Amino acid sequence: MRSDTEIRAELRTFVRRHAGQVAVTDDMPLFTLRVLRSVHLPELIILLERLRGAPIDVEQLRMGDFDGIDAMMASFGGRP
Amino acid sequence: MNTITDLTGLGLRWDPSGQAGLTGPLLALADGCDRAFRRLANRWRCREEAYPATLPASALRGHLRSFPHQVTFATALDSADANLAAFTDGPVLDRDGAVALTRTAPVTAVLTPAACYHVYHARQGEQLPAATYVTTRNTCFRREPRYEPLRRQWTFAMREIVCLGTAEESVSFLADARAVVDRFTLLIDLPLDWTPATDPFFRPERHPGHLLQRIQPVKHEATYGGSLALGSVNLHHDHFGSAYGIARDGAPATTACLAFGVERWLYALVDRHGTEPGGWPDLLAAAGQAAAR
Repeated sequence: MRSDTEIRAELRTFVRRHAGQVAVTDDMPLFTLRVLRSVHLPELIILLERLRGAPIDVEQLRMGDFDGIDAMMASFGGRP
Repeated sequence: MNTITDLTGLGLRWDPSGQAGLTGPLLALADGCDRAFRRLANRWRCREEAYPATLPASALRGHLRSFPHQVTFATALDSADANLAAFTDGPVLDRDGAVALTRTAPVTAVLTPAACYHVYHARQGEQLPAATYVTTRNTCFRREPRYEPLRRQWTFAMREIVCLGTAEESVSFLADARAVVDRFTLLIDLPLDWTPATDPFFRPERHPGHLLQRIQPVKHEATYGGSLALGSVNLHHDHFGSAYGIARDGAPATTACLAFGVERWLYALVDRHGTEPGGWPDLLAAAGQAAAR
C-alpha cells in the first residue's frame, strides 16, 4: 500500500495521460467535464486497487466518488 | 396492489410469454397516456417521428455487448427452396412448442430495445444547426428472467422525448423534463420519487457504462410505490453523438431522453385511482397544464 502522497501523484499521472491539452487540477470534476470518460473507469479502478492494496467493491461506489482527484483520495486514500 | 383479475376485468389480455394485449378501458387509458405524453412533448416543440420495429444489428454493436441477455433478434429461414421444403416437411414445431428451425438466414436485425435508438440512427452523420427535440414511440423488446403483467414485460410500449444538442442544451432539457413530469404527476395525484438508477448491464462489475452510472447522475428513474419505474431521464453525454457521427456546435452532440413505459403507467394509475374508469384523472388536461410555459 502506498502513502496518500504517492497515490495522489499516480492519479495525477493517470489523469494527465488522458486529459490531452486540458490543465487538470485536483478538484476538477473529471467525469462531469468529460476529461475522463466511462472507458477509463475500469483501468482507474484497477489502478486504485493496486495503489491502496485493497479491492474496491463497485456495488458500493457512490455518486461523487470520482468527481476529482481530491474526491478519489477522500473515498479511496489510505493514510498520510 | 392490482390483481390480475382486476386488470383482466379492465381489458388486459395477458400472455405469459411476457406480452400484454389491451382492450376496453385499459386500451383507452393507454391511448390517453400516450396523448398526454405527446402533449408534454409539445413543451419542446418536438417533431413526432415513427420508426420500424427493428434496427440494424450493425448499428447496435455497443448495445449487443452491453445487454446480450435482453436482446431479441429478428430471424427468418434461409430462403433457399430446399431449406424451406425441409422446414415444411419437418415437424415445424417440437413437442414443447418451439419452432423446429432448419437453416436460418443471417441475423442482421434487432427488435427495438429502446425507442430513442432510432432517432440517433436516423441522424447518422448529420450536423445539427440547433438543438433538436424529437418524440417517438415504439414497441420495445427486452428479455427478462420473469414477467409480470404491466410491470415487467418482454414487449412494451415506450414513448420518448429526445434532445440532441450541446451539453448545456441537453442538461437543461433534462432538468426541465423532470420538472414537467413532477408537475404532471402532482396534477394527476400520482406520487413519484426520482432515484438514481443503473441499467442492467451484462457482467456489470467492470462494465464502463455501469461504473459511470454508479458515480455520475446520468440516469434517474421516476418510481411509483417505491420500486416501479414509470419513466426515466437519461444523459448519454456524447455516447450516441460520437457513435453515429452526429455533430452540434462543432463537437459530437450530447443526447438526453425522457422515457415513459406506457404499460407501467396503466398499472400505477389503476393502483392509485382504482378500477372504476370514471375515477381516473384527466391526463390530457393535466399534461397541457404541466407543459405550459
